[in-house]
Amino acid sequence: MEQIDIINKLNNIFREVMDNEDIVITPESSANDIEEWDSLTHVQLIIAIEKSFNIRFKSSEIRNWKNVGEMIEAIQNKF
Amino acid sequence: MNDKNIILDIYNKIAEKSPIHAKKLKKNMKHYNDVYFQRSDDFIIKYLKFLNTLGKDIDYSIDCYLKMLDDIIAEDTYFKKFGKYSSSSFEEVNNRVYGNPNIMEYYMHGLLISQFLWKQHYQIYNYFIENIKEYSNSTNSYLEIGAGHGLYLSEAVKILDKNAIIDVVDISESSINLAKNLINNDRINFTLANIFDFNSNKKYDFITMGEVLEHVENPLSLLLKLNELLNKNGTLYITAPTNAPTIDHIYLFKNINEIKSLLNKAGFKIEKDIYFYAEDLPEEMAEKMEIALMYGAFLKKI
Repeated sequence: MEQIDIINKLNNIFREVMDNEDIVITPESSANDIEEWDSLTHVQLIIAIEKSFNIRFKSSEIRNWKNVGEMIEAIQNKF
Repeated sequence: MNDKNIILDIYNKIAEKSPIHAKKLKKNMKHYNDVYFQRSDDFIIKYLKFLNTLGKDIDYSIDCYLKMLDDIIAEDTYFKKFGKYSSSSFEEVNNRVYGNPNIMEYYMHGLLISQFLWKQHYQIYNYFIENIKEYSNSTNSYLEIGAGHGLYLSEAVKILDKNAIIDVVDISESSINLAKNLINNDRINFTLANIFDFNSNKKYDFITMGEVLEHVENPLSLLLKLNELLNKNGTLYITAPTNAPTIDHIYLFKNINEIKSLLNKAGFKIEKDIYFYAEDLPEEMAEKMEIALMYGAFLKKI
């Protein structure tokens, strides 16, 4: 799956989970840029990503996600 | 050096490595006062000495903590999806965690610093400190099951009569070594044993058991064992979490009433109790979102 396709899908997930239609993510986006991205919404994000992409992360695979780019990388590794 | 430097240094280092988690820590800081900073620094100074004996430093410990958090995120994801903890038997957890030195090492250090990083851990510890004093005169024998971080134990040592007996039973050798290192007091008698196999001739005036119930398959039988070990007028202090998925939690308490009902079934009545949520949210929302909660109670025999 291409990075752009993943980003578009992820962007919708972020908007839905954070309940904010204005969110626009880039690979550089981090929790410092998205106010609603905290430990609570993070778990909801993972659940939504796993469901949407039909994948399952191990704890070692979600380790040290500092930004959206690392999240995309983890998703790409699943395909 | 400012008193607040040590714990704040840890907060800052975590923020660099995990901005997501740092938001929660920052939000929870409003619950702390100067006493918190003093206690946390006192603890961390002792802990740093212990780390030094292992040839490790606080950066190592922070990495352990973040690894533990990743495990918790994975467990929380499972919990939110399936409504249960991922492990249901002691054997499973023993193979996965307790019998796995690599996991145990980071898990132990991660949990240790969580005592001062997690709001609910600190608040329940503070609750113990605020209330234990009133039991000091009536306590000539004190037993703690699962000493771990040694925080409760160190408070008990401070306030109990110098002739009071202080016993600790713990199933884990590394946990005993840790408590010995952090407290360093010859008065404490440590026994390496499963509490179910611990046969004492004496009964105790005060028993403390922090966060053990959720680690066993049958918490009722454990509480019945404590009832046997407690004097007729003795006091039991117990803590247990609800909705708290971790790699070694087996027994899921979905709410406080489930814990209270079990305590009652085991022959205990509540003298005083309290609870703290892990997140700084309105109670109704926290309950609806099944946010982890820490329950603590001082109990008497019925």
